[in-house]
Amino acid sequence: MINVEDLRKEAKRILKEGKVKYVIGYERDQNGLLPKPAFIKDPDDVDRMIWDPTCIHNLTKFLVDEKKRKAAEKKPDERPVGIVVKGCDSRAIVVLLQEKYIDREDVHILGLSCENYGVIDEKKLAKKLKGKKAEKIELDDHGNFVITAAGGTIKIPADELLAERCLECPANFPVVYDLLLGDKKKKKVDEPFKSLEKMESLSENERWSFWTEQLSKCIRCYACRSACPMCYCDECVVDTINFAVTADTTATEKAGKIKWVEKSPAPSENFVYHMVRAMHLAGRCIDCGECERVCPLDIPLRFLNKKLEKEAKKLFGYMAGFDPDEPSLVSSFKDEDPEDFIR
Amino acid sequence: MDKILLKKALPQWVKKLQAYRIYAPTKDEDIWTYEVVNTPEDIDLEFLTTALSPKKIIFPQREVYFEFEKPDVDNPDIKETLPEDDPTIVLGVRPCDAKALTLTDLVFGGDFKDVYYWKRRNQTYLVGLACHTPPSPNCFCLSVDGSPHSKEGLDILLTDLGDKYYVESLTKNGDKLLNLAKNLFKLPSAANKKEYQKIQAESEKNLKRQITNLKKVPPKLKGMWDSPFWDDEAMSCLRCGICTYMCPTCHCFDINDEVLSSTPLKGKRIRTWDTCQFPDFTMHSSGHNPRPDKASRLRQRIMHKFQYFVETYKNYQCTGCGRCITKCPVSIDIIEVLEKVRDYGS
Amino acid sequence: MAENFEPKIVAFLCKWCSSAGSDLAGVSRMQYPPNVIPIQVMCSGSVSPLYIFDAFNKGADGVLVSGCHPGDCHYIKGNFYARRRIALVKNLLEFIGLEPSRFQMSWVSAAEGKKYTQIISDFVEQLKPLGPQTKLRRNQ
Repeated sequence: MINVEDLRKEAKRILKEGKVKYVIGYERDQNGLLPKPAFIKDPDDVDRMIWDPTCIHNLTKFLVDEKKRKAAEKKPDERPVGIVVKGCDSRAIVVLLQEKYIDREDVHILGLSCENYGVIDEKKLAKKLKGKKAEKIELDDHGNFVITAAGGTIKIPADELLAERCLECPANFPVVYDLLLGDKKKKKVDEPFKSLEKMESLSENERWSFWTEQLSKCIRCYACRSACPMCYCDECVVDTINFAVTADTTATEKAGKIKWVEKSPAPSENFVYHMVRAMHLAGRCIDCGECERVCPLDIPLRFLNKKLEKEAKKLFGYMAGFDPDEPSLVSSFKDEDPEDFIR
Repeated sequence: MDKILLKKALPQWVKKLQAYRIYAPTKDEDIWTYEVVNTPEDIDLEFLTTALSPKKIIFPQREVYFEFEKPDVDNPDIKETLPEDDPTIVLGVRPCDAKALTLTDLVFGGDFKDVYYWKRRNQTYLVGLACHTPPSPNCFCLSVDGSPHSKEGLDILLTDLGDKYYVESLTKNGDKLLNLAKNLFKLPSAANKKEYQKIQAESEKNLKRQITNLKKVPPKLKGMWDSPFWDDEAMSCLRCGICTYMCPTCHCFDINDEVLSSTPLKGKRIRTWDTCQFPDFTMHSSGHNPRPDKASRLRQRIMHKFQYFVETYKNYQCTGCGRCITKCPVSIDIIEVLEKVRDYGS
Repeated sequence: MAENFEPKIVAFLCKWCSSAGSDLAGVSRMQYPPNVIPIQVMCSGSVSPLYIFDAFNKGADGVLVSGCHPGDCHYIKGNFYARRRIALVKNLLEFIGLEPSRFQMSWVSAAEGKKYTQIISDFVEQLKPLGPQTKLRRNQ
């Protein structure tokens, strides 16, 4: 079990010593139970920091923001930022390091192990509570979450509340860190891609119906893209914004500017957008689940990325976010890469 | 004229409304959305709130303005594609969402009427459902000149009295809909009327959240353009755009030509939703953007809703539905931001 | 399926091998179905997943990516990258429910004009019973 005081002590130390600009962590949101991202600048503010199974956010997106902010400043503060990460989040940092988007010296990583559990899926919790408001969530010694709500306590087995990805987690403690709190014991996971198998066993038409129904809901709010730490392109393929228009640009040139995907949410365009995003994340997605968590229409986006994650492992023996020195999936190859599908 | 409709008679009334396209809240796993309903028995008004407001019916995410074809250089052929004649009824509209439509009416009306918006608006009839307990823990309609039983923008208002609805027809169109099934609607008793008033009073007390002294905010905002306040508030913003897409009053849009073939030149001009949170908002064609960072975008959203709109239309551009608070992935709370603005510097 | 359905195949052919192979088929007057829209790319490794999705989006009934045999790439390694990337694209397209035979990849060298004609003939035969591709096609 992690004592949050140890986390606060370390955060206080690095802030007091001026080692970091600020620490990105979790704090309680104003509505009571759920956490929200916190940016602690003052060493005396560290008591705001919390850590419990509700801390589901992937805070590494703010490292991307920090880099973009520094790039826009004339004389940026070059000190690193402190960041609280779980196992999955640390793999996101490894991918950013691997791609040289940030340097190791830009982050001071406060790693927290999920030990044998993980984080709670808010929607699963809401279902179990049936409208009651939870006030506190704790883990007991028998693998149950004990939830205090509306004057009573409810005991629920952890597996029924954990986020789907936590049940298949390959990295329950951070793979890179400056400080690690909690157990460094690998969680036993029976079947790493179990959630995908059901979908794969469906027929081609069933899968097509499923995806048509789900992706027709998409309103192209791009929240999935905004929440993903790996989507850091200054100009996304769906938003041709850097098309320089001068006095000499002709109407034909403007009309001919490359548009891979139309802006409107027709089903065919939604398919192309989501498939291109999945391809751009092949070998980079570390399944933090943020895309699915933020989607306002509950589209099960994780499956698309999970499928490519499985293929990367099965066909090429590749797992994203473990080794910052290994080349990325699509910019490397092995002689033994399968070619049975090639005529 | 006030009436009573037994809940179990609702499907029978809907059967009489078959000439209209009927939208009602429909559940898909855990989310409610307004979808076209074909079987009256499937209509379930025991819902809390929908993910998207009925704005999407009148101001759809994808609207085709016109189709163009240019078989030869001198002969362009443009075909306007107005929305079809399709009288529509939306059942179960919460008062905040109906009020929101009266606000978008101000934007799309006025001196230059948007024909696409009004074609849909004029053929859509809204049957509202008053709130008793707040549909969302983040509702705050009373603070923005609304109420859980407001009649603004509605043709009919239903108030849930347990096994029956108290029915108030508010417009001629509402009368028309009731008259299609006259025999199902009874006169309310004195007890019904008392119950109705009790529920209205309770609904106001049940509202959990509020912003006091909101009227101090618009003048305060005017002086906060350059304030570092926005940098601090927007630190955790992801620029995901969910707040604006879910908002029943937000109405930014983008227009693009979707070219289907280049020879012969053929395509459509399409309007889609847009948001102040997207990368190309206020982007100049030179590439410069005067609102490049998150702080300026959050400031834009708050000031548009609580300063620019107030100056232009004398209304807050917010009806207190709470969707932006509930759906924000990083818990940025508009009530909290407004309270901080109100108290800023004091 | 309509009796006269003629599938449209968009073929991304690498300039140095596969496109040359298709030219050899041409100059040798080898007969093969005229259903191909050939697009010459410098290397199979330069074929982005976007091109493939775009081809289906614009109505292609089948898409072929063809490059040099491993070891023979003009740019040394391009086709190795293609081998990886196209495997991922193929798996993704099948996962969402597109018919697997609609997307194919081949190694065709500049001397394999005959092989190219064989690949195209077989491809057309596989696509005819499937009918027009409507799943990813942009609607009019």
